[in-house]
Amino acid sequence: MMQKLSENILDKFSMDFLRNQVLKNAYGNDDTIIAVRDPRILLVWYLFFGLVPWFVNDLPFLLGCFVLVTVTTLLARVAGLVLLLFAVGVFTQTGYLLAATILFGGDASAIAPLLVLTLKVATVSLASVTVFSGLDPDRLSNGLMWFGCPERLSFSISYAYRMLPMLMEEFQNVLLSYRLRGNPPAHNTVPGKIKYLIYQVKIIIHAFYPLMLNTAKRSRTTVEALEIKGYRYAAVNKEVRKMKLSSLKVTYDDMIFLAISFLWVAVTALVSTLV
Amino acid sequence: MQSDVMDKSNSMDKIIRIEDLTYTYPGAQQPTLSHVSLEIEKGDFLAVVGNNGCGKSTLCKVLNGLIPHFIAGEFSGSVFIDGENTLQADVGALARKVGYVYQDFENQIVRPTVLDDASYACLNYGMADYEERGREALHQCGLEGREEEYIWQLSGGQTHLLALAGAVALGPEILILDEPIAQLDPGHADRIYEVLRELNETYGKTIIVIEHHTEYIADYCKHVLLLRDGQAAWILPAGEALARVEELQESNIFPPQVTIAGFRLQKEGLLPAGCPLPTTVEEGKKALAGLTFYADGRDMQEASQTGAQTVAQFQDVKVSYRSVKGEPRVIFDGLNLSIHKGEKIALIGSNGAGKSTMMKMLVGLLRPSEGTVTLDGTVLKNVKPEALSQQISLVYQNPEEMFIKDSIYSDIAYAMQVRGVEDWQKKTEALLARFRLSELSDRDGRLLSGGQMRRASLAIGVALNPGILLLDEPTANLDIATRKEIMRTLTDMKDVTDTVMIATHDMQLVCEWAERIIVLCQGNVVADGTRDAIFGNASVVKKVGIRPPEIFSMGQALDERAFCYTVDEFLQSFRKTELFPDDRDHREPLFVSTWEQEKRYEQTGGMGQ
Repeated sequence: MMQKLSENILDKFSMDFLRNQVLKNAYGNDDTIIAVRDPRILLVWYLFFGLVPWFVNDLPFLLGCFVLVTVTTLLARVAGLVLLLFAVGVFTQTGYLLAATILFGGDASAIAPLLVLTLKVATVSLASVTVFSGLDPDRLSNGLMWFGCPERLSFSISYAYRMLPMLMEEFQNVLLSYRLRGNPPAHNTVPGKIKYLIYQVKIIIHAFYPLMLNTAKRSRTTVEALEIKGYRYAAVNKEVRKMKLSSLKVTYDDMIFLAISFLWVAVTALVSTLV
Repeated sequence: MQSDVMDKSNSMDKIIRIEDLTYTYPGAQQPTLSHVSLEIEKGDFLAVVGNNGCGKSTLCKVLNGLIPHFIAGEFSGSVFIDGENTLQADVGALARKVGYVYQDFENQIVRPTVLDDASYACLNYGMADYEERGREALHQCGLEGREEEYIWQLSGGQTHLLALAGAVALGPEILILDEPIAQLDPGHADRIYEVLRELNETYGKTIIVIEHHTEYIADYCKHVLLLRDGQAAWILPAGEALARVEELQESNIFPPQVTIAGFRLQKEGLLPAGCPLPTTVEEGKKALAGLTFYADGRDMQEASQTGAQTVAQFQDVKVSYRSVKGEPRVIFDGLNLSIHKGEKIALIGSNGAGKSTMMKMLVGLLRPSEGTVTLDGTVLKNVKPEALSQQISLVYQNPEEMFIKDSIYSDIAYAMQVRGVEDWQKKTEALLARFRLSELSDRDGRLLSGGQMRRASLAIGVALNPGILLLDEPTANLDIATRKEIMRTLTDMKDVTDTVMIATHDMQLVCEWAERIIVLCQGNVVADGTRDAIFGNASVVKKVGIRPPEIFSMGQALDERAFCYTVDEFLQSFRKTELFPDDRDHREPLFVSTWEQEKRYEQTGGMGQ
């Protein structure tokens, strides 16, 4: 296990792979059913599935919601890495609670409520995954802007996605510099492997320093370019805001999407009253 | 000198007028621009040339109002753009009159898709037809059909065109480009200049470029402005300007090789004094037609690979990259290549031909999906790159990514220090001295000038004394004077490192340095041999789009038997020896190698570093 981990951390799980996944997640699936929805509709949809499950304890209803958001996540063709992170996140969260319960004298009766909690967390997380990674960053930020979020926030979201691949590439290169010139501890034995793992983590932390300096050097041009391109001017101009939002249109299909979701929720609610 | 500038009495079509401009950056002791006065005509295609730090970029930022509106400092004098004083206009209004493309243009692109970025400025300034304007600008810049693409799908040249389109979209009358082709291969560079010419001739834009590549100035520009120590020395028509060979060389600008050859022939009396010097190969054909080729007895260089030990080898290598959408992109499929001990190899080919990929495989950073890479007899399959650093070393294209410590001393020392190499302190000192960095040893690498950064990265690369050294574009992004300096360093290094491979677009470097040239095209080795074999093979040159040094083309245009790669070789081959019968000694003093000339400029403080 330790060997696998220490091999993987830099080799298989490379920055190249990460970068690819981030890009794939942001822009690789812009033609899915979820991606072409109007962002405002999706945000309203998210408001329901992100909040309601917290306040409901009815199992059939929760299961119904879970099934629905699972389907939408699949439709959004979310990148594998995000799903993996989701799975690890949800199950370590509740798994740790279970461990704590048993450790402090709880018994098997704790499992049922924990399962309900897991279901809630999973439903809400999958809804978030659908909306925030199914939509491409620009549509998402336009949607947020329509709901009154400041222009600066929405610009930051799309700019971050624009910069991320470049930053990761640079980070990868700095890491490679460390690899090529560094002298890692031998890792044939178990203590050696642990040392090697610590060494790798240390390198990753060290590599942030050059990355930050290089980024600072780049951003000078970006700041000037933004000034020329009228970014400051647009931030205070109502007309520009209107123009940016005019591309948003609620279509017939958006309505169908909402209707199906509503219908499904209604059916599960009905089932839960019948049971 | 001022009179030269103000000479043009016709003030009707002056789109830019600068009167007695002096500007000092905040905190600087000396003004960067001092008492600059000049006028630029509407519809001009102007090249701005000058030494490093002579104020070229500063002058351009004055024109688009970033100075003094965004960057403070001491500003006196006045600048009129199309009759409007920049002090009275704001940056937004000026952006619609003056478009600016930075040297590090990729940082200027702020949106993820092509159309989005091209129309972003128009949207910000509240133009209702912003998308139309963006599309039109993309059309003018030759990016039609790529509107929906993401910016990381573009090549370097296309990214530059997009930055240009972003500026063009606002409909400015003036476009300023800071070193547009510094990072590009000749094919992409031509493309950029063709687009600029189109913008200039068809759409009537006034174009201002900061440019070191005098061959491009000769081909495309109408006028040249020389800046010297923050002052405008003169504006002259391009041909006339480039013929001022000595004056330009004093400012570390190297006129086209054809012009230098003409100049030296004129000095020797082989060309009539006073006749205009040729600046392009076309002009050279006429001006130098009287020369006869005098075979220098030099044999065609033959490849001498037999016997030498193979140090690295690719066998049926296949490698591909993940792509964001769709199938992985195949870079190599069935690559076979051997590298022998002691070879000095240049790896050439257009952007994206696989040069960097090949180097990454050699240092073990990238593993082929099929086939094997062998280094010193070991198959690089389960070998970690760390284990190879004594045998092979890679110097990146971007030196900043090699600086992982806070001073170049610790950067150079790092690899030796962590390996506990004996006397690493002494060895570091020696390397610093060798690369003329001793005085800078405690500076952060990022804050050095371009040439110093390159030298530091080379020192880092050779620190462990590897048997094979790989260099990725060591002369990219440098002005010509610094580039020559790096070329000299590389030549000095020939005896330090045994086997060296350089990936480059720089054909002068290839011709003066390499002993073996490998040409890559779409993942295949399409040619492999000496410079005579490569540049003499017209079909390869055409297919891959490599461009031999200008002087080589000139020689070929005059006589097909001429294979001359430097001005010296050209003069040797074409000098009418009848003028000096039986007096070979007489030729020597006339022969001042370009390098010696440069050394002299360096001694007189011309390097400006």
